[in-house]
Amino acid sequence: MVNIMLVCSAGMSTSLLVSKMNKVAKEKGMNVNVFAVAEADAKNIMDKIDIVLLGPQVRYLLPKMKELMEPKGIPVDVVDTINYGTMNGEKVLEQALSMAKN
Amino acid sequence: MGRVDEVFEILLHLEKKKREGVSAKDIASMLETDRSNISRYLNILHKEGKLEKIDGRPVLYKSINNDTNRVSRGGNSIVDSNNSLDKMVGATQSLAMPIQKAKAAIMYPPKGLHTLLLGETGVGKSMFAELMYQFAIESNIVRKNAPFIRFNCADYVDNPNLLTAQIFGVKKGAYTGADRDRDGLLTKADSGFIFLDEIHRLPPQGQEMLFTYIDNGFFRPLGETEKLIHVDVRIIAATTENPNSHLLKTFTRRIPMIITLPPIRDRSLSERYFLIETFIKEESHRLGKSIYINKNSIISYLLYDCPNNIGQLKSDIQLACAKAFLRYKSENGDYLIINQGDLPNHVRKGILSINDYRNEVDELLNTTYDIFKFNQHEEPPLLLNVDDNRSEDFYTAIEEKLESLKGSGIDEKDINEIINIDIESHFEKYIGSIYRRFDRTGISNVVNDNILQVAEEILLLAQKQLGKEFDEKIYFGLSFHLERSIERIKKGEKIYNPKLNSIRINYEEEFLFAMKIAKILDNKFHIETPVDEIGYLAMFFTTDSNKKFREEKPKVGVIVVMHGRSTASSMVEVANSLIGIEHAVALDMPLSMNPKIMYELTKDKVQQIDKGKGVVMLVDMGSLTTFGDMIWEETGIEVRTLEKVSTPMVLQVLRKVVMGYGLDEIIESLNKKDLYKDELPKKKIRKNIIVTACFTGDGASKKLKSVVETSLVDENIEIMAINIIDEEKLENRICRLSKEYNIIAIIATVNMDIGYIPFIPAIEVFKGYGINKLKKIIDEENMYMKVAESLKEHLTNLDGEEITRDIKYLIYSIENELEIEIISDAKIGIVLHISFLIDNLLAGVIPRKFEDLEIYRNLYEKEMNIIKESISFMEKKYKVSLGEDELAYILKLFLLNQNTV
Repeated sequence: MVNIMLVCSAGMSTSLLVSKMNKVAKEKGMNVNVFAVAEADAKNIMDKIDIVLLGPQVRYLLPKMKELMEPKGIPVDVVDTINYGTMNGEKVLEQALSMAKN
Repeated sequence: MGRVDEVFEILLHLEKKKREGVSAKDIASMLETDRSNISRYLNILHKEGKLEKIDGRPVLYKSINNDTNRVSRGGNSIVDSNNSLDKMVGATQSLAMPIQKAKAAIMYPPKGLHTLLLGETGVGKSMFAELMYQFAIESNIVRKNAPFIRFNCADYVDNPNLLTAQIFGVKKGAYTGADRDRDGLLTKADSGFIFLDEIHRLPPQGQEMLFTYIDNGFFRPLGETEKLIHVDVRIIAATTENPNSHLLKTFTRRIPMIITLPPIRDRSLSERYFLIETFIKEESHRLGKSIYINKNSIISYLLYDCPNNIGQLKSDIQLACAKAFLRYKSENGDYLIINQGDLPNHVRKGILSINDYRNEVDELLNTTYDIFKFNQHEEPPLLLNVDDNRSEDFYTAIEEKLESLKGSGIDEKDINEIINIDIESHFEKYIGSIYRRFDRTGISNVVNDNILQVAEEILLLAQKQLGKEFDEKIYFGLSFHLERSIERIKKGEKIYNPKLNSIRINYEEEFLFAMKIAKILDNKFHIETPVDEIGYLAMFFTTDSNKKFREEKPKVGVIVVMHGRSTASSMVEVANSLIGIEHAVALDMPLSMNPKIMYELTKDKVQQIDKGKGVVMLVDMGSLTTFGDMIWEETGIEVRTLEKVSTPMVLQVLRKVVMGYGLDEIIESLNKKDLYKDELPKKKIRKNIIVTACFTGDGASKKLKSVVETSLVDENIEIMAINIIDEEKLENRICRLSKEYNIIAIIATVNMDIGYIPFIPAIEVFKGYGINKLKKIIDEENMYMKVAESLKEHLTNLDGEEITRDIKYLIYSIENELEIEIISDAKIGIVLHISFLIDNLLAGVIPRKFEDLEIYRNLYEKEMNIIKESISFMEKKYKVSLGEDELAYILKLFLLNQNTV
């Protein structure tokens, strides 16, 4: 199971994207679990994560998250803006999984 | 249940003096404790059937069993009310007679009476037999380790010899296969009990042997000719047969005590409730966890048709517990909650009978409770709510409720939902309770004359302006409310209205009126009525005395059936998640599926979701379009079909459904405008333009235009050169243009920054770097466009293009005001954040709290104000109000996404 955490500011915009990503994963038979957290909660959830994606509006968290996560081997990146903006579940999932491969 | 017993004891004691009954206050003063707790215990005792409730002021309680108890105590000192039989649910109600008979059968000298238990499948005959046995032990009639042998005569129905041999024993060679002497169960049961279930399956030979024993006290094992066996066994036989049947007559003649156990439909709702409670607690014990269950599910269990009686009730409860447990495990939930979805279908239907039993159910469950928590260690069930009679005012009630829900470990999302759903019914109750508490003179004692007068004026005004009738009930309610709210506002206590947005949307007229009223109040009492309070005021005007209070009605069902492996389900998923209710259901029709099978599936689903209000069926094409009418004809369920389904269509239907529209209204409203939206001429797409402007006569704008045109190759953008006379006029002109065009940027020779559209000074363009700026703006514009396109599909209450444009303006003006520049990528994130925020607010979702808001506000007071002001045009336009938490989130997004380069 690959756990992907998506971080945004107050949980307003990511839930739809998350459900789309999970759906794509399910359709493709991938063992992936995507979930969203608000910025304030992100620091509390540090276990069982394989990949961290940040919404473009919280890209300012990138350095801090990298510092926290990368030593544990967890890749962190900002979601591609257009894919985020258009809620393209498939593309965002692709991005996440390619991060894991690198 | 120590405390409850204590209360009961005291009541019995006090009753000796107060023959008319005892009040909660009497007991509270004896125990020196809070009256409301005592009331609760008294209610429990009342529900258990131990007390009689005499309505009045105060409510008085009298014990019901007082006399009979004393008699039985006096008659036989061994029997106390704590015996197994009397602990049964319904012991003082529908089981009173059976229990009395059972006791008599056990106690009857010298050796008791053999008993025949009659009753339908699942009424609890085996359990009853076992409790009779327990009772016999408790009463020292049999010894403590006396045997209790149970045998089901149906088990050996194919082999009558073996059956008879089982009961009476067998001598070797009595029949083929009887290879040795064996004792029968009757022998094993000596000096105890044997329970023979389904006795009507006993073959004639066995019957004869049984009757011999009953009459003479001895029997001969099968095949035995000489030896008689004497035993002392009490027989409890049981059967589901009709007592009048020929077969049974032989038994009823020979067995002296006949006890009939009532079917569940003949038992009272309160008994049924206690059965439900018992079974859920058993499960709670088994799982080692508290079990939560919502009220509607309890109601379903109370009211559904349960032909197989208690046994079925139990297994239906176990099934739901198992489902809820599975979900709790798989989703790693915080608590184990049973909701409607976990109930078997036939159980769920129970809630449909609510109208026939509303009063009884209300009395039983006290309707303000939403979620019941059952725990193996706690009795009675913990009711997760506040008692509205105790809350002096509306706000406290809501706050307490919020707190109690929080304390129970339910997460915030669910809490909001619960409060949202409940607030209206709560309001109605509140008004009702005040009306009951006071009369005209009574109210003038508690409410200031001043306020009474204002309340009267307000209602007169409301009558005139809203054209509704308001009765005394509302008058009292409003007066009382005003007294509290004004006091509260003066004290500076916060008023919180979780349903503010939905009130605004659903009761626009009343809300606007409430705003006027707030002004009157402000002037009169020198206060500043907060908007949350205006929301509450509005609710007073939503009631119409001529109308009955709205009840939570069953909703029209929504089903989406489409070709393709997952088209329908994904559409439904989006719609449900956006509306925030799991109401619409989907059926996917893989292309390989036979339409006949599909039809059956669809029919089943429709039957499942129909709550008596009919079903809207949205389909794409082909044979699916005919299903609706066929189902309608076949099942009588009114089904309306909408073809060429699209996500917005599902959304629209769902929204109407949730708002409580009826089937016809929904179809009509869709037919009117939006259903055939795609066939109507599409809304004109706004052309993108860049405006170049200069003062009349100097020709700079044309020059600008050509510079821009040569350096930009984008056929989607038109450059429009305009002349300006003065700045004021320019603004108006841009405003007009923006209605027709999408203005990407303004380039002008003088500073013409109008605040919400990117402005580039002409000089920068001529020097070259202005063009780069412009390119960046166009890139951003393209991003915005893509987002707008996608938002169109994803927003429920908003037009994607419109809101994107507004937020784009907003971002630009905030950038200006704060004198910062935001990273392009972050802008898209901000668009999503704000658009979903507004969409959610419109849907009544309560946004998240901002951590350490106080501190943040102190730090960035000026910036917060800028955000508030900048966004106010959107608040007006979309009729939402953003709280400080929301503003703080937005500000944070701006401050932390600055382009520092």
